[in-house]
Amino acid sequence: MIWLTWRQARAQTLIAVGILTALAIYVVILGLGIQDYYDSNIVGCAADNSCQTATELFRDKYQGSAALTGALLLAIPALIGIFWGAPLITRELETGTHKLVWNQSVTRTRWLATKLIIIALISLVLTAAFSFLLTWAVDPVDKLIGSRFAAMTFDSRDIVPLAYAVFAFALGTTVGMLIRRTLPAMAVTLAIFAIVQIVTPNLVRPHLMSPITTNVAFTKEIAQSIDGIGSKGGPQNGDSEPVGVSGYNKPGAWILSEPLNALINADGSAFTRADMKACMTGDFEKDLVCLASKNLHFSITYHPASRYWPFQWIETSIFLALALGLAGASLVRIRRIS
Amino acid sequence: METVGLGKRYGRKQALSDCTLSIPPGRIVGLVGPNGAGKSTLLGMACGLIRPTTGSISVLGGRPGSSVEQLTKVGFVAQDTPVYAGLSVADHLRLGARLNPGWDPELAQRRIEQVGLDPQQKAGRLSGGQRAQLALTIAAAKRPELMIFDEPVASLDPLARRSFLRNLLEFVAELDVSVVLSSHVLSDLEQVCDYLVILVDSRVQLAGEVDELLAVHYRLSGGRSDFDALPPTIEVIQAEHTSLHSTVIVRSTVPIPPSFPGAEAVTLEQMALAYLTRAAELPGTGYSAKALEAQR
Repeated sequence: MIWLTWRQARAQTLIAVGILTALAIYVVILGLGIQDYYDSNIVGCAADNSCQTATELFRDKYQGSAALTGALLLAIPALIGIFWGAPLITRELETGTHKLVWNQSVTRTRWLATKLIIIALISLVLTAAFSFLLTWAVDPVDKLIGSRFAAMTFDSRDIVPLAYAVFAFALGTTVGMLIRRTLPAMAVTLAIFAIVQIVTPNLVRPHLMSPITTNVAFTKEIAQSIDGIGSKGGPQNGDSEPVGVSGYNKPGAWILSEPLNALINADGSAFTRADMKACMTGDFEKDLVCLASKNLHFSITYHPASRYWPFQWIETSIFLALALGLAGASLVRIRRIS
Repeated sequence: METVGLGKRYGRKQALSDCTLSIPPGRIVGLVGPNGAGKSTLLGMACGLIRPTTGSISVLGGRPGSSVEQLTKVGFVAQDTPVYAGLSVADHLRLGARLNPGWDPELAQRRIEQVGLDPQQKAGRLSGGQRAQLALTIAAAKRPELMIFDEPVASLDPLARRSFLRNLLEFVAELDVSVVLSSHVLSDLEQVCDYLVILVDSRVQLAGEVDELLAVHYRLSGGRSDFDALPPTIEVIQAEHTSLHSTVIVRSTVPIPPSFPGAEAVTLEQMALAYLTRAAELPGTGYSAKALEAQR
């Protein structure tokens, strides 16, 4: 059965290896370029005070490519689900070859189990190779300017893509078995997987662990680092409108309480537009000192940087478990096909 | 093969109803019926590809497709003899060897050479006849106790048809297997089978050993009025009347009365045709196998 599985999967595996090798070469070149630029321009930039310019240039040069290759890695599980998972059973049913193979001295359950295990392993190895390579290549970009928790980044680094690949494959197989026709099965697999890819980062991932809420003192340094302060409504809302901080960045952390974190006075009352106007003199430096002297603070809800790996493991486990559940369901279901 | 009240329904369409059969081992069973009669459904259930909706079926003492042992004992060649288009003939033999513990490599090799298949040829490029031969080889080389063929010759030209059936007979003699094969063409089965099952409109019309069936069926001819007062022991299966002359196929367990001097033995084809015609003329009034058993 292993022989047959490999014989049938050989062509598609070789095609995938070919495409991924080409991509891998690109990623290696990209990674070497990033590493080289990082070592020569970013490391030690503090010495000649060129950090900001160097980082800007770094961003212009590599952020696009990093995002693009990340998107390609996101597409791999989807492609595996569509082209390997969905047709796994439907192709046999459509060509009638299930009548041939299910009448050899191998039960359907073993036939499907072998196929699921071997092709899942192939998916795992290919995705792992690409994911680890990409994680290495764009590591400086992630560290310097990206957020490792950003939806697209988190999904396309380290071990999470492996679980997605296995999940998408099991999903495609199950959908194929239920729908029994290749093209509709492919479409439905893609639709479900896309929904999962949208729902997971937005609705599931923030709750994998309970977020931390903490108060941040509004110091002059913080005032300089943020994008700005402002209110939700426009000026027409009047002076009593509360004012908040936007663009606060805690290195490596995933801040959930965006986009505006309300500023609070030392006595616990809301800092309003009127309070802010009192500090506005037109001289930016003086304004900052004035605001900082008011002992303001704001509250943020976030996941600290140290949770990156726990989150990777939790999400990986969830999708591997879902894949196992789907595989188990198809193994039970395959006996009932007639 | 034993079936009790076997039935299969696809949505609102009843593909097979209340099928009760008891076929002893060691036979070459011909399953005859028009297209859509339920032949494929019955055979699919016999090899475990199709699950019955009602009733039960046991083949060689086991539930079809339920275990490796059962799968090993039954070889099946499906209607359109499906093969993997992308795999070569040699790959198919390797598939058979890997998936069947009792695989007979010499038999497979000899058969492939005999019918002139090129081992390197992709199966997708084989002709219908060659594909059928390949499927037959795979089913035979697993050395089953029972081989099931669903319309094996339907898509073949007359020449390929003859050579396929000849090959089949050679096999049966050589391997000592029981065979069930279906066809909508009577003449295909006439020379090969020694047990006959007629299936029309999802119901079994007739089932039994060919010799025994032929012994109780007669072809009578005479004037139309001669048939008005037949004794109750004689059942008319089908009658053909012209203005002066009538030909009637009857079933009778007692000798035909001397008032019919023209009584002759029937051929298998005449008998089968009579049952097929009767079922076609009276849709929905087919005889169940049980009723036929009782009449016997």
